Amino acid sequence: MMWRRGSFRVLSMTEDRRLSLLAATDPASLKALAEMLLPKLPDVEVIQSRTGLVMLPMRDTVTGTDFHLGEVLVAEAHVRSGGATGYGMVTGRDLEQAMAMALVDLAGALGIGAADIMALTRTTERVRQAADDAILRRVAATRVEMETF
Amino acid sequence: MAYVAARGGERAIAEAERLYRAMTGPIDANRVEQLQAALPWLIDRVMGEASLSAPEMAALALAQTGGDLYEAVLVLRAWRSTQPRLATAAPVLQEALFTHRRISAAFKDIPGGQILGPTLDYSHRVLETAVLTGRDFVPEPVTPAADPAPAGQPSLAEWQRAQGLVSALPATPYVAPEDIPDITREPVLFPAPRAHRLQALARADTGGTLALGYAAMRGYGNAHPTVNELRLAEAEVMVRHPSRSFFSAGRVKVSQAEVVSKGRADTLELGFAATLGWNEVKVIAAATLDLNAAKAPKGSPVEEEFFLYHTEPVEASGFCIHFKLPHYVTFQSSLDAMRGASNRDAKGEAPLPVAPAEHQTEPAE
Repeated sequence: MMWRRGSFRVLSMTEDRRLSLLAATDPASLKALAEMLLPKLPDVEVIQSRTGLVMLPMRDTVTGTDFHLGEVLVAEAHVRSGGATGYGMVTGRDLEQAMAMALVDLAGALGIGAADIMALTRTTERVRQAADDAILRRVAATRVEMETF
Repeated sequence: MAYVAARGGERAIAEAERLYRAMTGPIDANRVEQLQAALPWLIDRVMGEASLSAPEMAALALAQTGGDLYEAVLVLRAWRSTQPRLATAAPVLQEALFTHRRISAAFKDIPGGQILGPTLDYSHRVLETAVLTGRDFVPEPVTPAADPAPAGQPSLAEWQRAQGLVSALPATPYVAPEDIPDITREPVLFPAPRAHRLQALARADTGGTLALGYAAMRGYGNAHPTVNELRLAEAEVMVRHPSRSFFSAGRVKVSQAEVVSKGRADTLELGFAATLGWNEVKVIAAATLDLNAAKAPKGSPVEEEFFLYHTEPVEASGFCIHFKLPHYVTFQSSLDAMRGASNRDAKGEAPLPVAPAEHQTEPAE
């Protein structure tokens, strides 16, 4: 498993990272890209489009035991075309967002719209980084500067 | 015990529900959205107790129940049970958390420093009554630091282990995420696996956990806690693509606490708890129960069986409020026995022999 602390600062644009960025893309932009790519995709078969739960385990820091923290509501889509698979899963219940992710993933697997997909994921990367930095600069403002008398 | 078949009351029941619903009035998407934006801590509490990270659904549950927390948790858990389980994510690791707040009350100079994050810990609590006379309360904006804090903060327990203050992690066999013990699929037996205990505490009732944890803090336990580390953060939900790549489907809010006490040997003992959403009281109280459980005497509030059975919000609230449902036959039976005893007393008759009294409980079903 290859992710690091801060998790969006991960290596280069690996498959893992590309998928993470697609899931983090704002839904309107992702859906617009999927609609643009859809006419170029041959005979898309929808295998799954549903909401459901993902169990979220956590590791206890005292004994190292993994336990279930709870469940997370997700939307999932699974499509197939031309021998390739597209898959999308996002937190929440937006089935269209998950389907858009699956279609973009499918297009990527078929080599369709690669430049557009890369452009969107790069945009998401910048937007996400800026948003995280904004949060973390506000968090940094609450760091206690200790002074011992 | 006898049961009496009865009918009637359908109209009264229907009107009673209408009367209840009239108190909250029509519910639209706008109200749900406003609740979600205005009450993040309450949303988090409901999500934690319902064991479901779904802020929009938690806001809907609160809107629909007029803010009755136990009803909100019940409808959210009930809705959750209609959803299929699709996958198990990779375990959340402390060092991978996107951290908003990380403090220690036990050690001043900790690696990464004390990051207060969003808190009222050191603020005056004053009701802003001027809002009611038309003067809006507009919070002061945060002045951001020039440089961002690191997203990840180091583990305090690991730092303590490196100094020999805390026992090394025990060697635990690898358990695949799909094989982690799950109290929603299997009964809790005692002594419970640690995974069961921590899962039950993660979805426990905040108030119940606080009451029992507070009892331990006041002296009805065997270890006094100090917060070793408290963390509010976001965790990536790492799921598997059919190609076997792992990716994040999004982030969810989590909180976790370690509490520490001086052990009998030369090491510190730690208790741990975590939950979905940001809920500091709950994780500190729950970690205190975890810390105390090992040496707890039978029947004590900090004994594992006691606190796990009594902090389950749906079971506890459901059992409590079932007492307002008709118990006419059982109560009439008690009344008959009481009158019989009074009549015998009045006639100067000896009381009927009574079997040795047993601890009387109401069956849960």
